[in-house]
Amino acid sequence: MATLKTSLTGYALYKGREGQWTFLLHRITGLGTLLFLGVHILDTSTVYFFPQLYDDAIGIYRSTLFGIGELALIFCLFYHGVNGLRIAFFDMFAPKAWRIPSERTSAIWTIVISLIIWLPAAFIMGRNLLIHNFGLFGG
Amino acid sequence: METVSPQPPVSAREIPPVRRANIRANYENIAWRWMRYSAFLLIPLAWIHVIIQDVLVGVHAIDIDYVAMRWATLGWRVYDILLLAFAFAHGMNGLRQVLDDYFPSDRARRIFGWALFLIWFLVTLIGAVAIIGGVRSEA
Repeated sequence: MATLKTSLTGYALYKGREGQWTFLLHRITGLGTLLFLGVHILDTSTVYFFPQLYDDAIGIYRSTLFGIGELALIFCLFYHGVNGLRIAFFDMFAPKAWRIPSERTSAIWTIVISLIIWLPAAFIMGRNLLIHNFGLFGG
Repeated sequence: METVSPQPPVSAREIPPVRRANIRANYENIAWRWMRYSAFLLIPLAWIHVIIQDVLVGVHAIDIDYVAMRWATLGWRVYDILLLAFAFAHGMNGLRQVLDDYFPSDRARRIFGWALFLIWFLVTLIGAVAIIGGVRSEA
């Protein structure tokens, strides 16, 4: 517990800039995806164990709150993947480039690439949400 | 008179940045390798999964009949089995690595290591039974 407290206060105080933010984002996006994945395996399993409950479970996912969470979820998934590729690339092909300047530049690029993948997906999903939950665009 | 310095001056530049060491394969070593193998598999598997289900189809178009239709194709069932096998194991091992950072005692690590293993095993088993058993029509 003491270690946990030291770690959490350390995260707030340590000024590690891009490298540290990337490390934190990789953790947060990974843990966030895992949390949803655990729930998602169980909700999908209702099709076999309790088929009458499946549409109720999907009903929860159709709510506005979950719709917004879904936007966050796919960002987590894209970011975690792009950053994972960045780490693997340095490890495998450019280990000599594992230096603070390249870490900073590549951390920014990771965010940019993730956003480029995320924005069109978020646009389509956001539009679907507005159509179905708010009756916009002729929904 | 020529003097030979016993050691050449070592500047930071001359220290090779990459050192290679042969490490005997142990549990953590194998777990680390599988984190990376599964990561490479998960980028196409998980990204294609969310792009189809969350973006192109959308949660408002998904119901139990949609799941039944998808699982009528064996390929999609194999796809979902792979996703279940790699994604949840990757995530749970990631959670174990994160917890290792905050709880240094062997006893704590043993306890949550087994707890996470049991949760992983149970949830994976439930998911696998559901994918193999398929959608049960309501009696």
